[in-house]
Amino acid sequence: GCWAPPLAPQDILCRGTLRRKLRSGKAGAALDFTKQLGHFFVDHPEDAFGSLGPLLHKNFYLGNAALRVSVFVGLPALHPTPSAAAGIANVRPICSPQRQARDTTIRMTSLVEEINRLEARHGCPRQRFAPRVRWFSHLCRDWLFEVPLGLLAGCVHDELERRWAGLLFDDSGTAGALAWLPTGDAGAHTGCLVYPAGPAMNQLCFQDVVLGEMPRARGSPAQFDLNGRIRQVAAAQVDGEGFVGVRSDYHCGVWRVPGRPGAPPTALQVIRTDVPACCLTASPHLPGELAVCTESGAVYLWSVETGLQQLRREAQTMFFRDHSPWRWSEFTAHPRVLSCADRTGLQCLDARAPERCHFDFFKVGEEAGCQQGERVVLPMYLGRAHPSQHLVATQFAVYVMDERLPLVPVLKWAHMMKAPPLFAQVVPGGPGRSHKVLLGASHTQELLLLQYTGERWGGSGSACQLAGPPQKLHSISSCLQHLPAQLPHRHRLLQQRLGVPATGLAAELHAQGQRESLLVFQLSEAGDVFYQSLTHEVAQPEAPDGEDEDAAAPSPSAPCASPRPAPAVPSVAAVLRYRRWLRALFRDRQVPSRHGGARAPPTISQRRLFTSKDLVPAAGPGELHARARQQLLRTMRQGGLIGRWAPAPEPQPPPQPVQP
Amino acid sequence: SHKHKLDFRKSKDLCLSYIQDAMLQKQWKRAAEFLTFYIESLEKDFSTEYMGPSEMIWRMGTEILCHCSQSNMKEFNSFIEQMKTLGVKRYLKVCLEHAFHLLCNGRTDEAYQSLSLAESWRFGEQTTAQDKELKLIQAYRGLLDYYNWSKQKQVLLEYEKDGFEDLSVEQEMHNSFRKAAVSLKEIIQIPGVWDLFVQCYVDLLEFYGDHEEARQVLSEYAYNSKFPANPNAHVYLYQFLKRHGEPKKSLISVLKILHDIVPCHELMIDFHAMLQKSKKRKKRRLGLEVIFAALDYAGWKENVKAWNCLARQVKQIIISEKHLEWIKQEWNSRKDWWPAFHFSRYLAKRNWQENESLAYEKALVAGILLGKDCKYFKYVSHQGCKDQKKKKFRTLKKFVNKHSSVYLKISG
Repeated sequence: GCWAPPLAPQDILCRGTLRRKLRSGKAGAALDFTKQLGHFFVDHPEDAFGSLGPLLHKNFYLGNAALRVSVFVGLPALHPTPSAAAGIANVRPICSPQRQARDTTIRMTSLVEEINRLEARHGCPRQRFAPRVRWFSHLCRDWLFEVPLGLLAGCVHDELERRWAGLLFDDSGTAGALAWLPTGDAGAHTGCLVYPAGPAMNQLCFQDVVLGEMPRARGSPAQFDLNGRIRQVAAAQVDGEGFVGVRSDYHCGVWRVPGRPGAPPTALQVIRTDVPACCLTASPHLPGELAVCTESGAVYLWSVETGLQQLRREAQTMFFRDHSPWRWSEFTAHPRVLSCADRTGLQCLDARAPERCHFDFFKVGEEAGCQQGERVVLPMYLGRAHPSQHLVATQFAVYVMDERLPLVPVLKWAHMMKAPPLFAQVVPGGPGRSHKVLLGASHTQELLLLQYTGERWGGSGSACQLAGPPQKLHSISSCLQHLPAQLPHRHRLLQQRLGVPATGLAAELHAQGQRESLLVFQLSEAGDVFYQSLTHEVAQPEAPDGEDEDAAAPSPSAPCASPRPAPAVPSVAAVLRYRRWLRALFRDRQVPSRHGGARAPPTISQRRLFTSKDLVPAAGPGELHARARQQLLRTMRQGGLIGRWAPAPEPQPPPQPVQP
Repeated sequence: SHKHKLDFRKSKDLCLSYIQDAMLQKQWKRAAEFLTFYIESLEKDFSTEYMGPSEMIWRMGTEILCHCSQSNMKEFNSFIEQMKTLGVKRYLKVCLEHAFHLLCNGRTDEAYQSLSLAESWRFGEQTTAQDKELKLIQAYRGLLDYYNWSKQKQVLLEYEKDGFEDLSVEQEMHNSFRKAAVSLKEIIQIPGVWDLFVQCYVDLLEFYGDHEEARQVLSEYAYNSKFPANPNAHVYLYQFLKRHGEPKKSLISVLKILHDIVPCHELMIDFHAMLQKSKKRKKRRLGLEVIFAALDYAGWKENVKAWNCLARQVKQIIISEKHLEWIKQEWNSRKDWWPAFHFSRYLAKRNWQENESLAYEKALVAGILLGKDCKYFKYVSHQGCKDQKKKKFRTLKKFVNKHSSVYLKISG
């Protein structure tokens, strides 16, 4: 990446210059770097000026009065004033000999005023440089900062760039953090939704769900508190048991969910990584086996019984050079063969001899008819539909690949989504029916359904083809128009809440007698789970091949404290649940303002990147918060990484802050 | 002015997203309306993007017209004719897709005409991409010739049955053959996956008795390293050799290569059977390897035939008390994951409920490989022995008990 441009003293204080420079030059994203650095100084004065602040506070005077010698010994000589200067500590009463104070104290008030005026004039084309400010910055830039300014600026710039890249495309949540596991026998219509919740998305919830007329949560979810934001939840069912892999930046954990409905999930194992993990997939073949990738380019086969086995460690990408450290791994039809992906393509390698036995599976290039700049975004094993088929999604197209015929896609479709598909789900169709693939994007909340038919295993060998035109499903924010009207400010709040990026996708085919429906669950970054059900429609005569799924009215719902806006005819329970959710939303929004702290906006904006005051969550009210903290500390001290946290029954539960 | 241009572009993009939205929600009429606006807003396509506006109009328009219930073939054809003139570089692509559309609607003759017309089209200097597209068009025209040929063949066969001859039909048929053969032969020389064309070409050659040529085409298709590794190529070669009664040895060598590329191919059962019949020790050894490798794959988990093959060979080896080391070698690389993959208690229960004979075969293998205390064997033999009528389970139990020492030998 590009390094921070060397900063001149005026760049720090006069913000117009750098911006003009960036505008005229060819620098990529024109981040307002000066302002960001300024934010950093305001937000982290301790880090920026830690030692010199206390040393200097005797010598800087910020009051309005003129400096004069006081005659009363022992009484405050200088009036303390509320400080407005960044990082400069308040001038406190000095009780030293007066003459010395007069000699060593300077009045900073006018300088601060000038800085404030500069702020007010910001953007004014006729901005003049303030000689006094330049003089001051020139004088002290070498010694005022705790960390040498160049170094600090470099670090801040790197961080800014990282965040900027994250705003453009965040791949940390690839594959999504929502999973559905059917429990009980086939046709029992019960299952378990696994998703993160809580203000920091660090509580792992296992919620039993009954699929009746409408999906309905049964009981309260089993919760586990983890010490990191949950990025991905991967689930697979082997031998009637569910295995759930959970990935956060530096930890991966695996849980077992027994096949009986209502049986509690158990944590099996946790691993810690030095570099952020970027992929976790659970094996559909063998119980307790997972594949893990880290951003250092390492791929591991992780078995609960035998531990980790490193299959590959390659910092470079496979087919051509690409900067992304993102890696992915999926299982294939052979339980010992794993596919490894980076942005440039896929390879398959045998875990028994990873160096010797591997073959190229998918290459971004001519064979697949890729266009310029195309990169792999999400590979997925379609084993539930066909044992040897894989889905490879790029930002422009989706490909269906067959392991038996590598490098040549058996199906390609340009999806034309506005954002790259980060989530995908496959719902296999029975014999003679189409397989359904759902593609979801994060920031735009797009959701697409495409159906394809392919050769059955050992079947006659018909070619893979799309069945009918792809369809767009309702996004979370599109259900706003179906909700009852709200007061304008509440409407805005609701709009904001429904518009947050999606972070997960799950789907299940639900057959009830003759009626068959496809249930699609969506998780939003705010921790709400929504669903919509698509009912099977009899194919129309002009579209004889393929079946037709049509979206019903959107009926988002959530298992716990989540919204359930009204479908065409909402049930009483649904309305109640929706009202409860709405009340909680509005109440929690008001709570922090009473405490005086502003809340972070729902999505990070470039302007707000560094005002950490806003990012500090509202101090959890009282006892529960303290207890949780204590619990977390204890677990960490004991070396355990996760702990089951069951809060004792509270007489009156404090309001849970809504996660931004 | 600059601002005006920017606004114009913005509204064009907006219009495009409306069309896309409508299409994805199957609102074809709305999409068509927006598309007309979009076309009006275009003056000339100067874009250098991957997919320029005129290509988009072609693709979206085709899709919309295909789904609009009111539109008829005539309208569609006139739209396509316009599209052909819109972009010179795309002319061949449009022609080919038009032909596909005509074929889908059962208008073979029109499709044929359209393809032959496109074939004679020339524009400027031929680029490689154009050349490839032209070959593809020729090939599809050849495919239609093949289709005509086989229709005429059918007619002639009918006549022959009734005992009379028709020279004109015969002449026509021969004509079709020549045209088909020439264009099909051309395309299969370019590296690629041409399963359909190869099959048709080989069928033509075989009918006229040119086996040598057919054989050469097939082996070129299978063994030329410039072509993508295509398992079907080997399957076609195998089927051809089998049809012509080639010796076992060449059949085996073809299947051996297929086994190396795709160990989970359905033909592996035949391959195993073939190897089993062989007198050579090495071949029988390979047979064991083949069947073990096939059963590694998730798609074979419930394949009764394959399990039966494995059970039979393992049983044979044990009874003869020779080559126990074969089993040991195969089992060595699998003993850490096969028990969980194939022989769990859950699977024993499910296999027993769903497919008793599968459970029987698997139990035999499990009993030998894992000993009589293995969960799978215990469950199935217990369930089987409960029923007095199921004698084979008793013999199974006896057999495994008798050879319980084998388990120690192969796992040691």
